[in-house]
Amino acid sequence: MNADKDMLLSPEAESQLRESLKRCSPETVKAALAYRRDRDTEHVPVLVIGIIERFLEIEYREKIREGKDGLLLVEDLGIDSLMMVEIVILIEETLGVSIQNEELLELSTLGDVKSLIYRKMHGIPTPRKPQPISMEEIESIVPIQRPFLFLEEATVQTEETTGWYRIRGDEFFFPGHFKEEPVFPASIMIEALGQLAVLHLLKSDNGFLEGKIDPNKIFFTSCDGVRCHRVCKPGDVLDLDVRLKQVRYPLANFEGKISTVGQKVAYAQSLSLTFGYVD
Amino acid sequence: MPEVVVTGLGFITSIGNSKGAVTGNLRDLKHGFERYEPFQNEDIPVKLTGTIKDFDTSSNEGEDWIYPQKYKVKREFLRSLSPHGLYANCALVQAIEDAGWTEEDISHPRTGLYTASSGSARGIHYHLGIMEKRGVLRCSPMGVISSIAGTLNFNLVSRFQIQGSSCGFVSACASSGHALGFACDEIMRGRQDRMIVVGAEDGNLESILPFAGMRALSLSDDPDTASKPFDVHRKGFVGTGGAVAMLLESGSAARERGSRIYAEFVGWGQGSDGHHAAQSHPEGKGMVLAIENALRETGLASEEVDYINAHAPSTLTGDISEIRALKKVFGGCQNPPAISSTKALTGHGLSLSSIMEAGFCMLAFEEDFLPGSAHIEKLDPEAESLNIIRQSQERSPKVILSNSSGFGGANVALLFRSVNAN
Repeated sequence: MNADKDMLLSPEAESQLRESLKRCSPETVKAALAYRRDRDTEHVPVLVIGIIERFLEIEYREKIREGKDGLLLVEDLGIDSLMMVEIVILIEETLGVSIQNEELLELSTLGDVKSLIYRKMHGIPTPRKPQPISMEEIESIVPIQRPFLFLEEATVQTEETTGWYRIRGDEFFFPGHFKEEPVFPASIMIEALGQLAVLHLLKSDNGFLEGKIDPNKIFFTSCDGVRCHRVCKPGDVLDLDVRLKQVRYPLANFEGKISTVGQKVAYAQSLSLTFGYVD
Repeated sequence: MPEVVVTGLGFITSIGNSKGAVTGNLRDLKHGFERYEPFQNEDIPVKLTGTIKDFDTSSNEGEDWIYPQKYKVKREFLRSLSPHGLYANCALVQAIEDAGWTEEDISHPRTGLYTASSGSARGIHYHLGIMEKRGVLRCSPMGVISSIAGTLNFNLVSRFQIQGSSCGFVSACASSGHALGFACDEIMRGRQDRMIVVGAEDGNLESILPFAGMRALSLSDDPDTASKPFDVHRKGFVGTGGAVAMLLESGSAARERGSRIYAEFVGWGQGSDGHHAAQSHPEGKGMVLAIENALRETGLASEEVDYINAHAPSTLTGDISEIRALKKVFGGCQNPPAISSTKALTGHGLSLSSIMEAGFCMLAFEEDFLPGSAHIEKLDPEAESLNIIRQSQERSPKVILSNSSGFGGANVALLFRSVNAN
């Protein structure tokens, strides 16, 4: 072993590490010390398995030693959320990484744990799950407001935005559409897709824009290839989806889809908006 | 109103970890005090505690603890326990075995669990230390549930899969008296058929030593005289920890399954001093109220009480208040009740003390004896008119009163009656 590398681990740090890992197997302690000396990620799998094993009840230990990626943390290994935190704290301490609460929530198999640690070791960011935004928040982004906003919640991603709207039945147009027979207008369905497309333009960060879009300079230009498959009535939930096909200033072109409980409701092959940048 | 009876007992105390050992030590007046290692430092004037034998819970990590093999628990349970959580588990396992309750009896919508403990001062201190030293997100996820007041409840209710009423009681040294009293009410009101009551304390440096700041602890290093309730030269209490579990049952349920019955839990009363945050009322005002309320509720007369297990912790003011209260209620009795304070032997168990002493009263019924008030060299002259028994007596008590007082002047009086009364 290289004597210079040994200097990386002071005697105090080593004894603290040994103390933290005192209930782990000798191989685990060895791997931890080796990792702290040479930072070689080869040691990490042994280390992670060894740390998890230390917290398991005896009946689960055999299983973890097999180290299969598909092992379910809760069902196969009896790990509850608090034990997961204990495991993570010890891994963090041993490897000198730090793991966030959201990252913890996404772990369900042993493979997930290994790949999270791998990403941490190599500084690869964890793909973030997009968070849905509420109607109130949507109103603060787009110029369209109630009672003409038909998005209850929306999730904006790089090339796609999804959302939903529950038809309440007290919308202003129902008394006339139709007489004694409330049917959600197809034109409003297309409007809802357009609103989702506006939100996408203003909120997604896909790097295609040359400036900041002015919310008041987005307008509808065209819609082609529209087909409607079924009527929707109060109580139905519209699942909306727009996907960005092309952007060439001042036009953005989307494909749009609406479904309810998994059934096709409406489809728009092409939905175009014009936009302008903030002066 | 349903009759409430006591059918199960479990002890992890300074004077023994089984009914047999505790009974023997009470009868023979053998104390449980030792020099407590963490106090053997010249800066600490206190030297003794009532130690828990066969246990070593000195480590901050439960996995290091040593305790009798028969109580072995899984890490899953152990990880969220403070020392008194472990003691409580052991006492409860004993009590369940003693009563012969089945798993179905325990995990049942008609079975509840009340606890009393002050939480774990050491646990809180340790976990906050880690938070300061290593950062907020490096705190143990068990830090809160293993140490805050309520820890006993969280852990026992989940471990024993309790489905009925559950709650923790905090009134300092009256806590487990309140837990017992309200558990008794729960059965009397028909809400539950069975109630588990557990009182416990860590009894370590962090839970006991702060009382030195109040000048409430005995500084004596002689285990044979350090705790001497009712003695004119008493100088404070000796601290202790441990756990006691008591199982209550409706009389009909207990008789139906042919259970051994220690005694009937006839009823209880409470009263408050309304006087001082730490000191008891000099005339024992709240204690008088508590005893009178208990007698009124149960329809028992003061004349019928033949033994009183006093709260008397061996402090100057605490003992005097109780002496005056007892004189006021029992002064006119033709046959004054025998009185003793078993804290002379066990030390003061704080939240644990009330149920520990109620447990001793059950042994008195079962084994036909009254434990004496040990270590009195010169009786406080104020107590001369009371029948304080210095030696244990072989007698079958009919009615026993057990008193407890906590900070803020909270007083609890529990009344038990022999089921072989007539």
